[in-house]
Amino acid sequence: MIEVRNLVKRYRDLVAVDGLTFTVGKGEIVGFLGPNGAGKSTTMRILTGFLPATSGTAKVAGFDVFEEPLEVKRRVGYLPEQPPVHADLTVRSYLRFCADLKGVPRRSVRSEIDRVAARTGSDGVMDRVVRNLSKGYRQRVGLAQALLGDPEVLVLDEPTVGLDPLQIREVRDLVRGLAGRHTVILSTHILPEVAMTCEKVLVVNQGRLVDYDTVEGLVAKHLPGRTVTLEDIGFLEDIYAKLVAPAAPAAPRAEGAAP
Amino acid sequence: MRRTLAIARKELEVTFTTPIAWVVLMLVAFVSALLFNGFLDAYRFLSLRALTMQAPEVMEQLNLTDAVVSRLYAWVALLVLLAAPFLSMRLFAEEKRARTFELLLTLPVRPLEIVLGKYLAALVAIAAALVVAAFYPALLSLWAEGTAGGAGVEWQTVGTGLLGIFLLGAMALAVGMFASALTESTVVAALVSLFVLGGLSLVPALAVVNEGPLKELTLALSPFQHVAPFLAGRIELRSLVYFVSFAALGVYLSDRAVEGHRWI
Repeated sequence: MIEVRNLVKRYRDLVAVDGLTFTVGKGEIVGFLGPNGAGKSTTMRILTGFLPATSGTAKVAGFDVFEEPLEVKRRVGYLPEQPPVHADLTVRSYLRFCADLKGVPRRSVRSEIDRVAARTGSDGVMDRVVRNLSKGYRQRVGLAQALLGDPEVLVLDEPTVGLDPLQIREVRDLVRGLAGRHTVILSTHILPEVAMTCEKVLVVNQGRLVDYDTVEGLVAKHLPGRTVTLEDIGFLEDIYAKLVAPAAPAAPRAEGAAP
Repeated sequence: MRRTLAIARKELEVTFTTPIAWVVLMLVAFVSALLFNGFLDAYRFLSLRALTMQAPEVMEQLNLTDAVVSRLYAWVALLVLLAAPFLSMRLFAEEKRARTFELLLTLPVRPLEIVLGKYLAALVAIAAALVVAAFYPALLSLWAEGTAGGAGVEWQTVGTGLLGIFLLGAMALAVGMFASALTESTVVAALVSLFVLGGLSLVPALAVVNEGPLKELTLALSPFQHVAPFLAGRIELRSLVYFVSFAALGVYLSDRAVEGHRWI
């Protein structure tokens, strides 16, 4: 569904993305991990057609992001790092604006807005002006916008930032519910979130792909002999530290805690 | 088309829920009311003098529409030219500052649809100001009586005057929209468009020569020179071409500026 090949993005001397290659299959949920400035947001911006790549190609649903941007944009729901909500509009008119631009059929605009509002828990603030909403609600409204029109692919840049723990759980359930029908790529700093929602993990550091595998695959590769359960999230921290900071190795741990 | 209208509706919602449009409308209403009173007084004084001095040839020359409405509209034109940069400054600069530009560029919309939607909304705001300006000749027509029982207000002249001001506004907004598409700062956008429009208007005054091709050129560039025939009741093709080509250029350049974001 998403096909990225040798993607490079340079800002003058700064190389933000350096030869990234990966593919995401239909219906997969992929977590995008990496330290700040690793190129996660840049990659997402390229995938959604906001930024052009310096070189390399990115395809979404078989369409090249640069050559056929409209076809790609029709199929992608995007939540940028900062929720792109218009401060002067009410939530309802903002969502209506987005639904019109996404070409949601006129007769189903209203029901579609109610659907995404209910799914993201923003149905309680529909008639409030965005300016007066808390960060958490803005985030939800931004997420509602991404879900409008039921796009095949969802690109979510840190979807749980600013949410309280219970809301994080709701969003996690929401994203998991999208699996199968939707292809989701989401970036985050919160490791448990990756373990609980994503099937595969894509780790980038300084613009380069360091590893890309299923959670089980990562464990087998980097923590051989250790059995892990979802409750035990320390393992991901170990893997992450190993992959992202090779210069400063992770604190040594007793290997083979399990027999 | 639906997308263009959706963008226009959103812009109008923002324009008329924030103070900026209301400030412009109030300013037009206030200044017009002041000048309207003044010009009406002057007209009454002049016609009384002509009556007492038994000068029928002066009486024949006196024209209510020219003496009151056209003079008023020359000032409204100036107000519109000064107000347009403040109506257009937000169009793109604000979206960039608030990071909502990222949304516009990742939704399935063409740059031209975005530009036309925003331009349309700005034109509606200017048209609203002209509705306020049209109130004064309407007020006048309630009491004015023409010679031989005709209408006191020549609505054709009023109409061409309003058309001329609207075209001037359309040109100024197109310039301002392009300036807004180039920057993240609304202040810079307003200053740049004020500077360009002010420059075009003032250049005839700065031209040192009194005649010759240079003077002709500077006059031909000045927007007020092109509003003048409209205010006098004439629609001149070259003035029409001047305004429409400026507006088209502004829209085209804004479209390129938005499209350009996909390339850098």
